Amino acid sequence: MKLRVTLFLVFSSLMILVGVSSAQDTQVLSVASTAGVTTWNPAVSFSTEALYMANIYETLVVVNAPDAEEEYSPALATDWSTSEDGLTWTFNLREGVTFHDGAALTADAVVRSVNLAREIGGAGFIWFPLDTVEAVDDLTVQFNMSYPAPLPLVLGSTYGAWIVSPNALDAYEADDSYFDSGVASGTGPYMLSEYTPDAEVILMANENYWGGWNDSQFDIVQISIVADDVTQEQLLRGGEVDLALRLPPSSYQSFADDPDYTVETESTLFNYLGFLNVLRPPLDSVTFRQALSYATPYQQIIDVAAEGLGTQAFGAVPQGVFPFSDSVPQYTYDVEQAQALLEESGVDPSTVSLRITYAAENAIEEVIAPLLKDAWEEALGIEVNIEGILFGQQWDEAKSDPANAQDVFLLLYWPTYSDAGADNLWSMFRSSETPFFNLSYWANETFDALIDEAGTTSGTDVDAALDLYTQAQTIMVEEAPGLFFMDTSTWYAVPTYLTGFEYNLNYPFSINFYNIEIAP
Amino acid sequence: MQKIEYTVRRLFLSVVVLLGMTVVTFMLTRIVPSNPAALYLGNRARPEQIEAAIEELGLNDPLPEQYVRYLDDLLHGDLGESLATRRPVTLEITSRLAATGELLLVSLLIAIVVGIPLGVFSAQLHGKPADIFVRAFSIIGVSLPQFWLGLLLQLTFGLGLGLPLASRIDSSLRFTSPIQDITGFFLFDSLVTGNWVAFQDVALHLILPAVTLAAYPIGLIARMTRATMLEVMQQNYIRTAEAYGLNSRLIVYRYALKNAIIPTLTVIGLTLAYSLTGAFYVEIIFNWPGLGLFTARSFLNLDFPAIMGITLFGATGYILINLLIDLLQAYIDPRVSLS
Amino acid sequence: MSISKLFLGKRGEKLPDDNFDAPPTERSGWHHTLYVIQRDVLAMFSVGWIVLILFCAVFAPVISPYPDQGRGRNNAEARLLPPSTNTLLGTDNLGRDMLSRLIFGARPAILSALVVVTAAVIIGTPLGAVAGYYGGWIDELIMRITDLFLAFPSLLLAMAIVSFAGPSLMNAVLALVVSWWPWYTRLVRSTTRSLRAQYFVEAARSIGVKDRVIITRHILPNTITPIIVQATIDIGTVILATTSLAFIGLGTQAPNADWGLMIEEGRQFLRQAWWYSMFPGIAIFLTVLAFNLIGDTLRDIFDPRQYR
Repeated sequence: MKLRVTLFLVFSSLMILVGVSSAQDTQVLSVASTAGVTTWNPAVSFSTEALYMANIYETLVVVNAPDAEEEYSPALATDWSTSEDGLTWTFNLREGVTFHDGAALTADAVVRSVNLAREIGGAGFIWFPLDTVEAVDDLTVQFNMSYPAPLPLVLGSTYGAWIVSPNALDAYEADDSYFDSGVASGTGPYMLSEYTPDAEVILMANENYWGGWNDSQFDIVQISIVADDVTQEQLLRGGEVDLALRLPPSSYQSFADDPDYTVETESTLFNYLGFLNVLRPPLDSVTFRQALSYATPYQQIIDVAAEGLGTQAFGAVPQGVFPFSDSVPQYTYDVEQAQALLEESGVDPSTVSLRITYAAENAIEEVIAPLLKDAWEEALGIEVNIEGILFGQQWDEAKSDPANAQDVFLLLYWPTYSDAGADNLWSMFRSSETPFFNLSYWANETFDALIDEAGTTSGTDVDAALDLYTQAQTIMVEEAPGLFFMDTSTWYAVPTYLTGFEYNLNYPFSINFYNIEIAP
Repeated sequence: MQKIEYTVRRLFLSVVVLLGMTVVTFMLTRIVPSNPAALYLGNRARPEQIEAAIEELGLNDPLPEQYVRYLDDLLHGDLGESLATRRPVTLEITSRLAATGELLLVSLLIAIVVGIPLGVFSAQLHGKPADIFVRAFSIIGVSLPQFWLGLLLQLTFGLGLGLPLASRIDSSLRFTSPIQDITGFFLFDSLVTGNWVAFQDVALHLILPAVTLAAYPIGLIARMTRATMLEVMQQNYIRTAEAYGLNSRLIVYRYALKNAIIPTLTVIGLTLAYSLTGAFYVEIIFNWPGLGLFTARSFLNLDFPAIMGITLFGATGYILINLLIDLLQAYIDPRVSLS
Repeated sequence: MSISKLFLGKRGEKLPDDNFDAPPTERSGWHHTLYVIQRDVLAMFSVGWIVLILFCAVFAPVISPYPDQGRGRNNAEARLLPPSTNTLLGTDNLGRDMLSRLIFGARPAILSALVVVTAAVIIGTPLGAVAGYYGGWIDELIMRITDLFLAFPSLLLAMAIVSFAGPSLMNAVLALVVSWWPWYTRLVRSTTRSLRAQYFVEAARSIGVKDRVIITRHILPNTITPIIVQATIDIGTVILATTSLAFIGLGTQAPNADWGLMIEEGRQFLRQAWWYSMFPGIAIFLTVLAFNLIGDTLRDIFDPRQYR
């Protein structure tokens, strides 16, 4: 009954869909995912549609998972070199690659794709270190940097680095609503075949894919968009889908015990933290913030909110990504220390009332919030209120008037591309005039100077940059503008009849369907 | 004469109420969000983009002027654009109508097929234990929280008997036995095209959500049928028939039920309005891809145009159903006074 | 929305009365005896249950085995324990005693229902009396306004309110009041209309008693009975509505206890911890059932025919 991936005989309607004339066996992979589509424009895309985009479009390089031998894998670029000063990078493109619409992959397509993403992209900021990009010849691209930065990380970004067909770019220039109806043209293994908003995405194998195909791979990937994890579990258990990409955390054990599934636990770059609003007394007091940090039950949060699938964070950089360092100090759950610091801060706990906001749609934050409330109230004798609102509302409040906004903002964060120094630390803790993600509203000149310097060093001397980032993080943790709860793991229940399921933490929102095959 | 006048007046007043509705939804879309342009652009908009959007959307114009424009759009069937999907709200609604419609109709059918005989049966056995049982059954039906009943059915019948727990159709069917889209009602479309595989699958998927949704109307319809049957059966012509020694079955089904059916129909109509709300919860629990699920998602995305479009749509439906029931009553039931 | 409303018919005037539990008029003997017994037994149980729930709501901190947990304090070491002697109904995801949570959950249920129904009566009654008494364009105006409010789905209204004011029980209650009062206006209006035609009102008018006095002295007191019957059933219906809203996150917020919210929290544990969603559901069901049964009994006692 479980073996649903039987060979389906394809009927007439599909014939039209695939455009083949003779009946043949077609393998369909059914997937349930929460991933909605906010845009089909690959340059703009900055959200969950990455699941589809990453199977349709490709980047020049792929950033490998941390345990791999090589840091990068070639994708549309076969090899590259950099000048000694780290300011000029040259990439050679793969020969004979065509886009889904038949156009050939050229250096010009790369230049145009990069420039568009840089200009209008939601993730356009990843190109910040880039000065210009130019086509040297048909298959060679040169990137000129403003300062040395690790460019392959940018080129292998989850967002903003996909290479788009020049025909599609032309069409988009002529009409900026071109992508809206659900069209796509990349070089990837799958082509976008059908899209029903909020319901379904159908991907069809790209027969001309440069990587080639074998018989065990899937010809069609049918993804049902299902927002609710409980429903996804029901669909998976009912045999209506082969893969469910978001299962309830609480179901871990029952899948682990089930011989029909292999449970794959993967560390991720998803990181939970809380911003303490330093503009609002008594949170302006460093000692008081430290007291809160000591009164936070890290292990309990991991055990209860994440069902044990996580580890306490070292600062704001998750494990598995540069510039993570386990020499960044951590707070421990230490009530006595917390009480001592509270006394030292001179804050009268009976006058303190803190308001924590969290995104009501996030099941883990929903548990972190009450745990924090209870622990702080018990340890420090302060009053804590928690408020679950929609992320849009939480975010709105935090940005409109910081001094009158929430006291504590719980956030799930992940780096846009695999440089958490240039992303996590810069976005969340570097000072800025109008708040974006730095929702502690914390400003520390030493910290700012250190990460700025680290950013320009990271392209040439990674070790020195790591050291600078670690110094910066040490200051940050001591000043405690935020609470660094945990790096989380995720898990997938993969039916034993499938192989090749891989999760790469550098691409948190995508799964490569190309790698998935029917087990022999 | 009087009837025509009544009809015209009711029609006119329905239009007035509808206009009132548009004022309310307009106010909610324009005044409730602190900054509609920011919502329109999403979380990452820069201030100058917001300025431009305010200009583009005409949010600086006087409110009455905006309202007239809104009304004009409505008359052209334009409910605005969904912030989440960037498609016209009208399209979002119409493309989901069939899914919700099928669920509603099937549940209503279950309610009628079960509810009316229960009511008749109960009235016939007035006061006997079976009557008490039926009455208890129907009052239980109206006291059960629907969202909980859905979970309960999932737990028992779904996990126990292996009935599908969610969604409308096994998605792989579209590759093996695709349903030809005629009406959008899967059950109907697969039936008329003789697609038995799909028909069976769709029917199985419908069972739990439709039963959940039917629990409430079953109780209502059974109660109503019973009450009107009792009333009708005490009337003279039935007594006369009884006195003449006519077969009691004949009396019940041929004469009494026929007359009791009108008020029951009214309840069925009103039930539809109630079931719209019920369908919202049922769709969430069973991941039914209809209007309810869309509403829930629109809310999560703070998709105001979508929420208000659905509101206006639902309210129009409600007003129409009411109008229809009123007119039906006026034409069928002579006791209704038209003053 | 509510069963009682459907039975009252549109503007409470056209449907035959629901003599659901009207005593059999003709037959007597054991049928009648049986009827009276089941009627009384059910009503007795219903009253008993409601008294119990009210008692829970008022004395929650005193009678809960773990009042702290009832208020929301977690006890994470004891997560998802099945019912046992220590925790009679098991524990929830944060290790809180389900029984204590259920007892505290009676508070929002009862309180919100009382507030909604009271507010609806206060708003709806005078409008209904005025509409029914004066008739004409005043009547038409008021009735069209009620149409407008009735046509506005309360669920969507709640969503709209929550989208700008944030989710809370109070906002849910507000949304319900807005969509609930018109039912009372309709009910009172139809009663008023039938009263107005009666001799004692005519008499009062003819000797020059002021309208205001007639309405307050003669009309309103006579509408109390149907209002009480309606309100009793409505309390159950409002409990259904507020717990439903809490279920989808628009009502009571964590860590406060609410039956609907508890069902939602337990949903993902349906497989591992059946008690989590089960007991709150039973609590809602029995409470709503009890109010419905009492409402029916009251209607029966007060003779349904008077507010046809």
